Amino acid sequence: MLCYKGWLETRFKLLFTLGFVCLNLSMMHSYSSNIKTSVLLFMVTLMSQMMVMLACGMLAGAGINTQPTFQAAKGLHGSTLFTLSLPVSRLRLLTVRACIGWLESVGFSAAFCCAMWFASPLLRAKVAPFDLFKYALTLIVCSSAIYLLSVLLATFLDEIWRIWGTMIAAVALGWLSVHTYLPASFDFVRAIGKNSPLYTHTMPWSAMAFSLALSAAFFYAALKIAQAREY
Amino acid sequence: MTDLIIETNQLCKSFKDKPALCGLDLKVPAGSIFGFLGRNGAGKTTTIKTLMGLLHADSGSASVFATPVADADRSVEIRRRIGFVTEDKELYPYMTVEQIIRFTRPFFPTWRDELAQRYMELFELPPKRKIPDLSKGMRSKLMLLLAISHQAELLVLDEPTDGLDPAATEDVLRELVAIAAASGTTIFFSSHQLVEVERIADHIGIIHRGKLVATGSLDDMKAQYQRLNVVLADSVSPPAHWPEGVESVRQEGRVLSILASHNVDAIVEQARAIPGSTVERFPVTLTEIFLEHTRSN
Repeated sequence: MLCYKGWLETRFKLLFTLGFVCLNLSMMHSYSSNIKTSVLLFMVTLMSQMMVMLACGMLAGAGINTQPTFQAAKGLHGSTLFTLSLPVSRLRLLTVRACIGWLESVGFSAAFCCAMWFASPLLRAKVAPFDLFKYALTLIVCSSAIYLLSVLLATFLDEIWRIWGTMIAAVALGWLSVHTYLPASFDFVRAIGKNSPLYTHTMPWSAMAFSLALSAAFFYAALKIAQAREY
Repeated sequence: MTDLIIETNQLCKSFKDKPALCGLDLKVPAGSIFGFLGRNGAGKTTTIKTLMGLLHADSGSASVFATPVADADRSVEIRRRIGFVTEDKELYPYMTVEQIIRFTRPFFPTWRDELAQRYMELFELPPKRKIPDLSKGMRSKLMLLLAISHQAELLVLDEPTDGLDPAATEDVLRELVAIAAASGTTIFFSSHQLVEVERIADHIGIIHRGKLVATGSLDDMKAQYQRLNVVLADSVSPPAHWPEGVESVRQEGRVLSILASHNVDAIVEQARAIPGSTVERFPVTLTEIFLEHTRSN
């Protein structure tokens, strides 16, 4: 039933994100015929990064504070107290909600890569399907750190601030990746950009592993905050 | 010795150095309907939230069903046996009435569909309506339905009749008494409506500035507390000191109004010893007891 709650909480956000994707794909379809491969790959990776970050920001949640402040009566907690009165541990509330959002963002990433493939004849001509598959996998794993960061923010920030916080963190990571030297094995943003399988034809395993380790750390921190927090 | 469903010992909780509970010793007997009274900000909701594991006490202990609420794992089991109505009556805005019922049911193995159906009809809840479209009174009723349809052993109700019209209040109070009578469910509820509390509660706790200032069975309290009106003779001053048990003394002209919490006979004796005085004894209402204990000074 917590899955059902998670789905009801995210379905319109998922729809909104998919709508955004359709808009981008239609633009990609109309412009892709006249561009070079390098520009095409740059467009694909940039758009993927943006779309996945948007999805992470929109779909993440901690399962406890489920309403934006403006929907709750002033000074009160919305439905939070009802949620916490259920005979369910905060670990389960957090895990189920985080998993629902993560599965949706995984589905989103996979669907986005497929949609790009079908929307762009040039992409089909220039990129091997297996490279795109590897890219989708990299996208899913490397974006999980951003997703779990958003889950962490959801344990103590209101929804609006959480989305903004995630976006700002994602932009900051992108800036760091471009303007500072980060070792490739840690740079999971570059792993879905210039170092992605679309360019290198190999999986960025170390960056993916680092992203997973960071995700685990964010989840652990989110859990500790959720368990300690008072409502 | 009576079994206690809720017990707190020297429970303390502060918010940014502002004390909300200061050594609260609360004991709620099994099977009782316990009215928890206090002024705004007295610590009622803080107590309830601590019992539900939503707040962590700074010191002292609290247990429900003889299980410490501070133990996060065991507090899940506690909550399985509790029906809770929150102060704000907020539920998920993206669900309808029937969706929230369907959502809540699987969490409680003791849930009974026929009970939920019965309360749906009794409270006239529209199953297809979205929760934000319900009035506060309707939301109160829906929360009550969710709290009582799983046959909880303990109902913790924070202002359960807040927002209800008189007819709905009547329905809810009657139902609460029926539940307590039929299944021995303990009901712990906070309220500002002293008339309601007096009508259904058999035990009372009055909290003031984070401390329990009076508690016991309502009948015992009413039997113990008495108001004495002492009419003094002309030019006779009242005594400066009264025996133990005098809670307050007010004088209007020649009439002394004394509220006694115990030791009434000794107080009457002293009043009668004042030359030329006459003494009358009156029963007191819960409102008088409440006001006496919760005056600012």
